[in-house]
Amino acid sequence: MAEPWWKANPQDLYQLEDRISSVYVERCHIDRDENAVVLVNKERTVRIPAAFIAVLLVGPGTRITNAAVALVADSGTAICWVGERGVRMYAAGMGPSRGSQLILRQSWLVTRPKERLSVARRMYGKRFPGEDTSTLTMQQLRGREGARVRKLYREHSQRTGVTWERREYKPGQPHAAGDDVNRVLSAANSALYGICHSVITGIGASPALGFVHTGSSVSFVLDIADLYKADYTIGLAFDLAKEGRVSERDARLALRDRVAEGKLMPQIVRDIKWLLLPEDEELIDRDLSGLWDEKQGVVEGGVNWGEEIFDEGGFIAVIGPETPQAPTEGTAGGNPQ
Amino acid sequence: MTVVVLIAAPEGLRGHLTRWMVETAPGIFIGTPGKRVRDRFWEVLAERIGDGQAVMAEPAKNEQGWAVRTAGRDRWKPVDFDGVMLMARPRR
Repeated sequence: MAEPWWKANPQDLYQLEDRISSVYVERCHIDRDENAVVLVNKERTVRIPAAFIAVLLVGPGTRITNAAVALVADSGTAICWVGERGVRMYAAGMGPSRGSQLILRQSWLVTRPKERLSVARRMYGKRFPGEDTSTLTMQQLRGREGARVRKLYREHSQRTGVTWERREYKPGQPHAAGDDVNRVLSAANSALYGICHSVITGIGASPALGFVHTGSSVSFVLDIADLYKADYTIGLAFDLAKEGRVSERDARLALRDRVAEGKLMPQIVRDIKWLLLPEDEELIDRDLSGLWDEKQGVVEGGVNWGEEIFDEGGFIAVIGPETPQAPTEGTAGGNPQ
Repeated sequence: MTVVVLIAAPEGLRGHLTRWMVETAPGIFIGTPGKRVRDRFWEVLAERIGDGQAVMAEPAKNEQGWAVRTAGRDRWKPVDFDGVMLMARPRR
């Protein structure tokens, strides 16, 4: 079958750095209409320039059709299902039309101790402006960082009058451990992780390949989020504790309002590129598919390099049972809301 | 900034373009695509506009600061008057 005419080639698409970083949508139906990605609610329809954004953040109360996903993926745009305003990241999807340059670069850096250390130093260096971190060991860096956050906690404690003993949290269980300010801080941090996670996925880096953190499927998310805690969550947690707004929801909504100012996401995109890409290197986000060769680098893909035609019976499609007819209002699937 | 105007475009073409630009009024699209992307979707527009008309005004390094491309049937065509671009209408 010939490709439909509306299919985008990699050359048709905006480079990632030319795009708006994200568009967040909630409480609507996301569909395809006349080859456009449309948002529909009771009052209006809005068409999204899907090829002009890096990641589409799909919030609560949304429903998205298969046709819409096909168009968004064809636009080289990532989709992330998130909680309110991107706090909490549930799942993400990405079409096949993106290149792997960023993730290859990231894995190259993370698997070489010298390069990995230099990226980790840059990460810490961002947090100690004006200090030279280029010769410090990881142990020294961790020590500096510990001293820095302790000082931050102390300063915010004096500023707000909220008492501070020490940091307590249960990994993976935000809002479970410690006093009020600790619990609010954990909740705000977990919201920040969601935002960082969607951006990392959206620009095609790997959330799992961390430089400072390691061993978790979100190690790189923890690395990146640590760059912003001082500006976004620590002060916020003390402010909220002072006002007695200490539920998990308070923390999420307060961070959401800070994110809605719209400065954080573009900042994350810039910082990730600065950390991973060499100076003045352009990110090629096109799909440069090829086959790797240990001597020649990359040879052309899509060519049969074998002597004989290989067996084409190599996969089986499984098709599910017939689905019952949808109700006539055209709201198949999902729960009525 | 680039402006595209589509008149009497076939179904699906306007929707297709909204993936790249924002449709501010029926058939009028505004965006900031780079030259490569513009060239690519202009190919699609020119090929599919059929009996309608497509006009694209884009930034250009000339005295006026912009250039125009047109496609479609019975369209007005850009004419060069010693470096000034004017539009010529077909006489009926």
